[in-house]
Amino acid sequence: MNNWQPVASPELIKLRAQTLKKIRFFFEQHNVLEVDTPVLSSATITDPFVESFQTDYFPLTRRIEDTHYYLHTSPEFAMKRLLAAGSGSIYQIAKVFRQGELSQRHNPEFTLLEWYREGWDHHQLMVEIDQLLTLLIAEYLPLAESCFISYQQAFEKYLHINPHTADLNELMACARAQQLDNVLDKTDPKDRYLELLFSHCIEPFLGKPEQGNAEQTGQAQLCFLYHYPATQASLARITETNGVPVAERFEIFINGMELGNGFHELNNAQEQRERFIHDNEQRKQNGQQTVPLDEHFLAALETLPDCAGVAIGIERLLMAMSGSRHINDVINFPFERA
Amino acid sequence: MATYNTNEFRSGLKLMIDGDPYAIVENEVVKPGKGQAFNRIKVKNLKTGRVVERTYKSGESVEAADVMDTELQYLYNDGEQWHFMHPETFEQIAADKAAVGDVEKWLKEQDMCTITLWNGNPLVVTPPNFVTLTVTDTDPGLKGDTSGGGGKPATMETRAVVQVPLFVQIGEELKIDTRTGKYVSRAKD
Repeated sequence: MNNWQPVASPELIKLRAQTLKKIRFFFEQHNVLEVDTPVLSSATITDPFVESFQTDYFPLTRRIEDTHYYLHTSPEFAMKRLLAAGSGSIYQIAKVFRQGELSQRHNPEFTLLEWYREGWDHHQLMVEIDQLLTLLIAEYLPLAESCFISYQQAFEKYLHINPHTADLNELMACARAQQLDNVLDKTDPKDRYLELLFSHCIEPFLGKPEQGNAEQTGQAQLCFLYHYPATQASLARITETNGVPVAERFEIFINGMELGNGFHELNNAQEQRERFIHDNEQRKQNGQQTVPLDEHFLAALETLPDCAGVAIGIERLLMAMSGSRHINDVINFPFERA
Repeated sequence: MATYNTNEFRSGLKLMIDGDPYAIVENEVVKPGKGQAFNRIKVKNLKTGRVVERTYKSGESVEAADVMDTELQYLYNDGEQWHFMHPETFEQIAADKAAVGDVEKWLKEQDMCTITLWNGNPLVVTPPNFVTLTVTDTDPGLKGDTSGGGGKPATMETRAVVQVPLFVQIGEELKIDTRTGKYVSRAKD
C-alpha cells in the first residue's frame, strides 16, 4: 500500500497554523524579534545523548574538496551568536533534526520554538513561558494552576531521596525498590541512575494535577522543574543553593510529557569549552564519534549578554492541545511517510 | 545465540527473559531531551500468560526466543498427551497438559489448532476461534420455549459445559466461541 496521504487530520493541520499564528502575535506584542539561522552548520552539539545528522558539501564541478556539515539539533548556537552581536531578545520557529529519535513522542525531524530574553534569568523566563503556553493550551485543555518545583523537591516527593547528595549505592537501592534493577550496570555513573529513576518514577506524574476534583474534570497542568544536578548543566550556569551546586536549567511538563528545556545561559566561554571537551571524552568512551567544537559559538560567548532561553517542541505542544497519543497524529508526513 | 537490538523492538517480538519466552505486548521509548534513552516494554510470559514490565537501556541487545506458530491438526488424546499432525508433511507432535491447559475442553479431533513451538517443543495450544460441537447432555427443558430468554447448561462432546438457550436439545451441533466460551448459534448444516 502506498501511504502518500497526510497522517494529520484537517483539524490538526489547522491547529498547527493557528498556533504558529498566535505565537508570532504573542512575540510581536512582547517586542521579541523573529530571526532565521542556518539549518546546516560546520559544527554541532557535543552532548553524548544527542546525535546530529551529517552531510557533505561539494562544488558541482569537481568532487574533491568535500566539506562536512551537520543539520542543527536546535538553533541555539546561532541564536546566541545573534544575541552576542546585539540583537536583543529574539525568537525562532525552526525545523530541527535528531538522529535516531523515533518513537510515539519523537520524530527525527521536528519543530522547535526557541526564544531568548536578554537581561532575564530562568525564573523570569519561566513566568513568560507559563503565560504563553497557558494562552495556547487553555482553550483546548482545562489547566489547573501551574506548578513550579525543583528537581530535588520532585525526587524527595516521589522517591524520598535527595538527588544531589545520594550516593550511587543509595540510587541503586532506590532503583531496586522500584523494580528497576538489572537495567543499568554497576559501572554506570550516578546521572544514568537519576535519568532512569526520573523518567520512570517522576516524569509520568509531572503536569498531572493532584488527586481530587482536578482529575475528574480532566484538567492538565503545566509543571516547571528547575535546578538540575550540576552534572546535567549542559549550557546552563551553575549556581549554589543550600551548599549544593545546581544547574540553572529547567524543563516543562504537561500530562507526564516533556514540552521543553531552558537555561539561564552560561556565558563563560572557557567553562563551556571545558564542558564540550568533557562531552567529547565521554563520546570516545562510549565508542561514539567525537564532534568538532563550534568555535564561532565559543567566540561569541565572550560577549553574550546575560540572558535566559528556552526551546519548546511544537509537535509535543500540539499533542497536548489535541490529546494525541502519538506524535504522528500531529504531523502531515511523519518520518515513515517522509 | 540470536539477539534483538532494542531498536528492533515491536509488539509480537519474542524475547528470552530470565529463562522464559516472552512476547512484547507494548514498546515505549522514554528519552529525556538530554539523557539516556530507555525502552520500556510490556511483555507477556508465553508459559504463564502473565504480563510484566521491563526496561532496557536503548541500544542494548536482548536474547531472542526461538518461538514460532504452526497450524496443526488435532488427532487424539492418549490419556497423557495430545497428539497433533502437520496436514502436509504428516509429521506428528505431542503436547502435554502444561501446553494444552484449559484448552483441552475445546479440542475436537480433526480441528486445526495453532501450536506455539519453543525450541521445537509445544508451548501453547490455541484452538480455532470457533468450534462446532455436539451436545451430549442437557436438561430437556420446556417444550415449545423458543423465546430465547434465560438459558441452561449443556455438556458438549468434549466435556465442555456451555450456557445455551432453552430450546437446545441433546444431539444438536452448536457453534461455540472458544475465546469467550460462549454459545454463538446452532451449527448450519
